[in-house]
Amino acid sequence: MLPSFRGGWPAAGIGLLLLFPLSSPDAFFLDVFTTGFLLAAFAASWDVVGGIAGQVTLGHALPFGAAAYACALLTSLAGWPLPLAVAAAILLAAAVGAGVGTLSAPLSGPFVALLTLALGEIAHEAAAGNTFFSGPGGYAWGGEGGIPVALPWQDAPPFASYYVALCFLCLASFAMLRFSRSGAGLILRAVAGSPITAQASGVPIARFKRLAFTVGSAFAGATGAGFAIHVGRATATDLSLELSFQAATFAAVGGRGTIVGPVVAALVLHVLFQGLSLPPAARVLLYALTLMVTLRFFPGGVVGTVREAAWRVRWKNGTGSFRRRGRGRPGEGGS
Amino acid sequence: MTARFGSLHRLPLVLLIGTAAVFLSTILCVSPGGPALAASLPGTLKIGVLAPLSGPYAAGGTSFVQAATLAVEQANAEGGVSGRRVEIAVGDSQGRVDVAKAEALRLVSREKVSALVGAYLSEETIGVMEVAAAHRTVLIVPVAATAEITDKVRRDHARYRYVFRVGYSLPQWAEMISAFLSDRKVRRYGFVGAGIRWNHELAGTLERMAAAHGITPAYSAFYSAGNPAFDPIAVAAAAASPDIVILGDPGRNSVSFLKRLREVAPALPVLSVGGALGDARLAASIPLSAPVYVQAAAWRGVSPDATAYVERYEQRYGAPPVGYSDTLPYDAVTVLVAAWRTAGSVDSAVVVPVLEFDAFPGVAGTYRFDAAHQARWGAGPGTLHGTFVRWERDGARIVFPPR
Amino acid sequence: MSPLSQVLLDGIFAGGTYALMAAGMALILGVVKVINLSHGAFFTLGAYVAYALAERGIAHPGAAALLSAAIAFAFGVFLGKSFVNPIRSHPFALPVGTLACALLFEQAAQMVWGPHPLSIETGAPWVGPGGLLIRRWGAIAFLSSAALLAGLKGLLATRPGLPLRLIAEDEEIAGSLGMDVEAIRYLTFGGACAMAAAAGALLSPSGAVTPTMGRAPLILSLVVVIVAGMDSIGAIFLLSIGLGILGNACAYLLSPQWSYVALLAAVSLLLAARPAGIVVLAGRSD
Repeated sequence: MLPSFRGGWPAAGIGLLLLFPLSSPDAFFLDVFTTGFLLAAFAASWDVVGGIAGQVTLGHALPFGAAAYACALLTSLAGWPLPLAVAAAILLAAAVGAGVGTLSAPLSGPFVALLTLALGEIAHEAAAGNTFFSGPGGYAWGGEGGIPVALPWQDAPPFASYYVALCFLCLASFAMLRFSRSGAGLILRAVAGSPITAQASGVPIARFKRLAFTVGSAFAGATGAGFAIHVGRATATDLSLELSFQAATFAAVGGRGTIVGPVVAALVLHVLFQGLSLPPAARVLLYALTLMVTLRFFPGGVVGTVREAAWRVRWKNGTGSFRRRGRGRPGEGGS
Repeated sequence: MTARFGSLHRLPLVLLIGTAAVFLSTILCVSPGGPALAASLPGTLKIGVLAPLSGPYAAGGTSFVQAATLAVEQANAEGGVSGRRVEIAVGDSQGRVDVAKAEALRLVSREKVSALVGAYLSEETIGVMEVAAAHRTVLIVPVAATAEITDKVRRDHARYRYVFRVGYSLPQWAEMISAFLSDRKVRRYGFVGAGIRWNHELAGTLERMAAAHGITPAYSAFYSAGNPAFDPIAVAAAAASPDIVILGDPGRNSVSFLKRLREVAPALPVLSVGGALGDARLAASIPLSAPVYVQAAAWRGVSPDATAYVERYEQRYGAPPVGYSDTLPYDAVTVLVAAWRTAGSVDSAVVVPVLEFDAFPGVAGTYRFDAAHQARWGAGPGTLHGTFVRWERDGARIVFPPR
Repeated sequence: MSPLSQVLLDGIFAGGTYALMAAGMALILGVVKVINLSHGAFFTLGAYVAYALAERGIAHPGAAALLSAAIAFAFGVFLGKSFVNPIRSHPFALPVGTLACALLFEQAAQMVWGPHPLSIETGAPWVGPGGLLIRRWGAIAFLSSAALLAGLKGLLATRPGLPLRLIAEDEEIAGSLGMDVEAIRYLTFGGACAMAAAAGALLSPSGAVTPTMGRAPLILSLVVVIVAGMDSIGAIFLLSIGLGILGNACAYLLSPQWSYVALLAAVSLLLAARPAGIVVLAGRSD
């Protein structure tokens, strides 16, 4: 029954999400969902680097925050119009990604995680500990309080933000899915699976690793700019290790390398734990327990483990005989 | 094995149905939620309190909420607001601006609070300001010290007129510290703080204010949270031989730094700008070979009100307040309730002018707000002065302002 | 005393604290082949046990270290047996899962002991030659990390440590030799957690005890372990001490605010110069 419904379920989900604001929820719910959409796009962009290309990055907040800061500085300080600032922010994020990708291309495994962690933390320290600019109030901008984004509107209606963020998430996920299924995406999966084999077949792996970082960072940057616009400012938290860990967490729970998995995991986890307004202690305990229990029973992530199981069943039935077993990332075709 | 995977095979379906169920249930929950809630508690007034209750800032946030709870209980014991009971609804800001904004929205749109008190960090508070301005809800800021808050009120009064700060601004803080340093006959001081914006700003403002008293900085350093280099800072601060070291960090790192400083410079006096070192249990673990001064908004013995507050707090929570992240929120709620009583209404349009022009007695003294909606603190006449105490083995002694 | 020599001595001690945390993480990375992000939580557990004992009048660091090691060993064995071992084949799930475990512990600690910082008396430092101050906790950290790492090295070099070494190198051979690989793994995990808790108990007097105190040391020890690798215990010790001295020298000579950035930049440069790490890691699948 699964193959016959392929593609239908996401459409149903999007339909539900489109319907949701019309059922008169309050501004808080719309805000939680808006943030959830942005986090979901961020988790998916992590997956392009950490899942598809297998470069586990712990500094994915770097392009996110760089774009958020660029958006804030260009609108508030330089007075650029918002669309231009967003475009520049995305370009900057892509350039940052290309830089990180170049630096980390010779590395493998945990060294990639370590280098990206170090670069992200350096950027966070620089943003939190410094006040570079004096804004128009005589006090310094920057530091932990961040920099405001000058917006052409005041108090955006919550459902407008909701629909824009949802639209962005759909487009971005679609684009990232297409990328992951393109020729480059397949090569990246090969690089992730076995760099040596990929290199032996003539793939310039350094270039493809850089490509993954650039593409993933560009999407992270778009999300970061969107986040800064939604919140109204770029703060040092946008560059924090916690944010990078959050993206990796969503990817692990949803299923690394599936794009859809991290999106669904980010949405469900964020909406459940921020939207239900549980008491703080209960929220943290339940969140941590949910992560542990999910990972204990779906160690490849929910979508990843289910796909792996589905493929094993087919393999056993003789329909998917060419699939390899081991790594829990069967790649294409399962959705 | 096959059977197990067979059941897993159907999992996406189950998950999607589950997700849909969550969405539907939230939709169902929300629609009747708003009016039903308001109707179920007739006549009750709600104050939304925003503070970080989980994560690294939970210590300050918890005492913030505890003090606000105490203030509301006190207000109810005094008959509430024209016979109506006052309640608080709490939001966990988690130390993040996006969460603080979302929680402020929840308190305003779902809990239907009449006013907000919070948040804790500067960046959270700036985010909450936007929500308060958009919903024309009064926001009382107890601790966030950044100049951006009052600057916004000054520059765009029409939009931000709902925001009032009871806590001290950085220039006021520096003014009170300068007066204290001058009283202690300090000539050269060292400043150590966390490497964040408001600590840098406090250090800079203090340098300007202290210069008027002929006091100069001998050393200043800021540590990073990732690898706080307490030992080298302590060694360098001691080597600069200032008359006193000012510890500009209200958080837990102030305790760690003070311990390291006492190891290398047991005879160097220290002034903490308040916060963690106002805790008697912590102070008990610090060698008092030289004075440890702590600044506070108020302290036991400053006034009968302050003493009564400290005793109630201690009785209720088992430990005395630290005089900063609890006393200021307490006064924020007290000021708000007093304004409601005077206005005879909780309508922001009526309450804002009352807050602007009236005077409100609190634990730390009588609050009056200036044109930028900043409570008047400082060393001059007609202002709130705060308190400086010195830790002794048997508790803290008030040393300044002289009584 | 000359301030610079004091700063450098303190740097050696700071390096000792990194090494103390890194030892357990390296053991887990080598034998269980897992990056354990709950290590900081066990460190915090040790500090709280030390505080609870000190509050009851038992301020002996040895007693606190022993008791907290026993508690952490029990929890660590549980975690290793029921969580880590079953999902070991998914190397990415484990750092995230153990991070969730750390969150769980932080919240539990906040509920049990409260969010407010707690503190234990530090004890006056000893005065060494030339007026140099020897901070008690620093000396303890340095000596115990040296002893721990030397002990670990000794264990791995002798007969009782053979199973650990064999599993680290080739678990299939170890299994075929009749070793209970699973049991050795979760016992190792428990032992490493006990080491973290003992470190927390020993270092607790040096600062404030809070639920999130394990986060900062976790990152730096993670850096040390990944760069140095498990295979060379000497490299872990030297790198820790080197980073400790570098961090302190930077803080004293340049700017304290940038000491963390300087450490990370040094590590990044080290990685750029030696992309395979100081010591090439063996048996890593992800």
